[in-house]
Amino acid sequence: MDIQGIILRLVQGGLGNLAAYLAAHVLLCLVPAFAIAGCMTALIPKDTVTRFLGRNTPKFLSYPAATLAASVLAVCSCTIVPLFAGIYKKGAGLGPAITFLFFAPAANILALVYTGGIIGVDLALARFFLSLAFGIGIGMIMALLFRREDIAHDALTDALFAGQSRLRSEVVFFLLSLVALLLAGVLKLEFLTRSYMELTLPIPGMEGFQEFLFRLVPFDPTKGEEGVTAQGAILISLLLFIGLCSWKGLENIIEGANGWTWTALGLSALTLLTAASGMTPQPAGLVIFFTGKLFGVALSLALITYLARRYLETQEVRDWLWETWRFVKQIFPLLVAGVFLVGVIRQLLRPEWIQQLAGSNTLAGNLAGVVFGVFMYFPTLVEVPIAKMFLGLGMHRGPLLAYLMADPELSLQSILITSSIIGRLKTWTYVGWVALFSTLAGLLYGAWVDGVNVWSITVYLFLFLVALALTLYLASRRNPSSSAVA
Amino acid sequence: MLTIKVLGPGCANCKKLDAIAREAAANLQLDAEFIKVSDFAEIMAYSVLSTPGLVINDKVVCAGRIPTLAEVTKWLTAITNG
Repeated sequence: MDIQGIILRLVQGGLGNLAAYLAAHVLLCLVPAFAIAGCMTALIPKDTVTRFLGRNTPKFLSYPAATLAASVLAVCSCTIVPLFAGIYKKGAGLGPAITFLFFAPAANILALVYTGGIIGVDLALARFFLSLAFGIGIGMIMALLFRREDIAHDALTDALFAGQSRLRSEVVFFLLSLVALLLAGVLKLEFLTRSYMELTLPIPGMEGFQEFLFRLVPFDPTKGEEGVTAQGAILISLLLFIGLCSWKGLENIIEGANGWTWTALGLSALTLLTAASGMTPQPAGLVIFFTGKLFGVALSLALITYLARRYLETQEVRDWLWETWRFVKQIFPLLVAGVFLVGVIRQLLRPEWIQQLAGSNTLAGNLAGVVFGVFMYFPTLVEVPIAKMFLGLGMHRGPLLAYLMADPELSLQSILITSSIIGRLKTWTYVGWVALFSTLAGLLYGAWVDGVNVWSITVYLFLFLVALALTLYLASRRNPSSSAVA
Repeated sequence: MLTIKVLGPGCANCKKLDAIAREAAANLQLDAEFIKVSDFAEIMAYSVLSTPGLVINDKVVCAGRIPTLAEVTKWLTAITNG
């Protein structure tokens, strides 16, 4: 094949991948997820959770509170790092701080919704529950290993964690209405996916337009690839308009709304409604199907608007819009670039390589997933399309989970930041535990996918924990003072 | 002479706060020194749990959110007059 042909194929691969990720079902989960994340950051007072992270809180409260803080408050590093440093230095100590650090990237609303929407709800749930268990586990192990030093922090006061703000019930209802929007768009229930009415818009040439798009970005349905449909093209152009209007309307939203703000919000609502309806180009024109989803999304949007106008203060709405826009601005461009590159790289990888390395649920396969995850750094959420690519190339779901557990938690960048706060020894100990536990998570989940019964998995886990406890016991006996020096 | 510090690792919110604080000081025609604090040990010394934080003359006036121009103006006038 000539060079030109190869480049054309690579670009088409990238565009095809991008098209699939901007398709209707992805937008329906991503747009509400951004709004929910923005709402959590802007409207949930941080001390509703952080007051359980103080020095004097009992352990059985501070560990769960750390996971709650991680999933509710921490979507970006601006929140994760200061809160991590605060919990470690002035609050509940190393254990809960580590639990928080581990759980935050895996369990925030954006990551979970995106994993569920792109790869599957089973993997999102596995990611959530295994991170929860292992986050608390690693936190406790770290607290045990470095317990002497943690006592030294005890002299500090508890005032930082004494905040008493309350979460207003109006904010909770508003959050629930956003969740309703998300669920109406993504749940695959019969009454939501069914079409109740159809309407033909007499727009000529739509069929030809779609065929042109299919030729532009060829795809192979047997490989699970999706092409750019006419609906997809409409959605992508709407997104571009939203981007332009948001730049003018949301950049200074803190100081007040302007005409561009309302245009951007109106277009966002229109995008969601377009994505929720069904569209098929036919010779007579564009046929629009009024699905249950469309009604669900429309109702939720109406409810959100009503609650925001009636019960939220103007400043709260502005804060919410600003945080949402900030997440979009920070994450979306990187996601688009990342997805495009993943599509290009996919054309270069051979399925045989992946299948040989991690095609079945072996120790080596899981380790390969973990090592790749630790040393590669991808921007927030890009790990998901990468995981989808591996899955398409024949990676087993076990090693895939191992990769998904290790990648967002660890990268060279996050290792450096962490070590500036808790020191190098503790950081590398943490990295070691994450690698070990991610491998284990992959092996267990992989075994479950392969149909091994739950009891044998429990026995494996039990044996592992016994071995772990023994090692820890021996280590603390042989070298009782090493942790105090570190 | 005022010292205005913006606490934060350098994310979008910290830059925004920095711009607002500068605008407020310029509107009031105040002579202020701006310091960007991104070292976590130093941020922790102010007992701030979430960034961005705004510190005027070593007093934390706001943390964890972006204040409006009007709020910052109010704080600045309160400190210069008091």
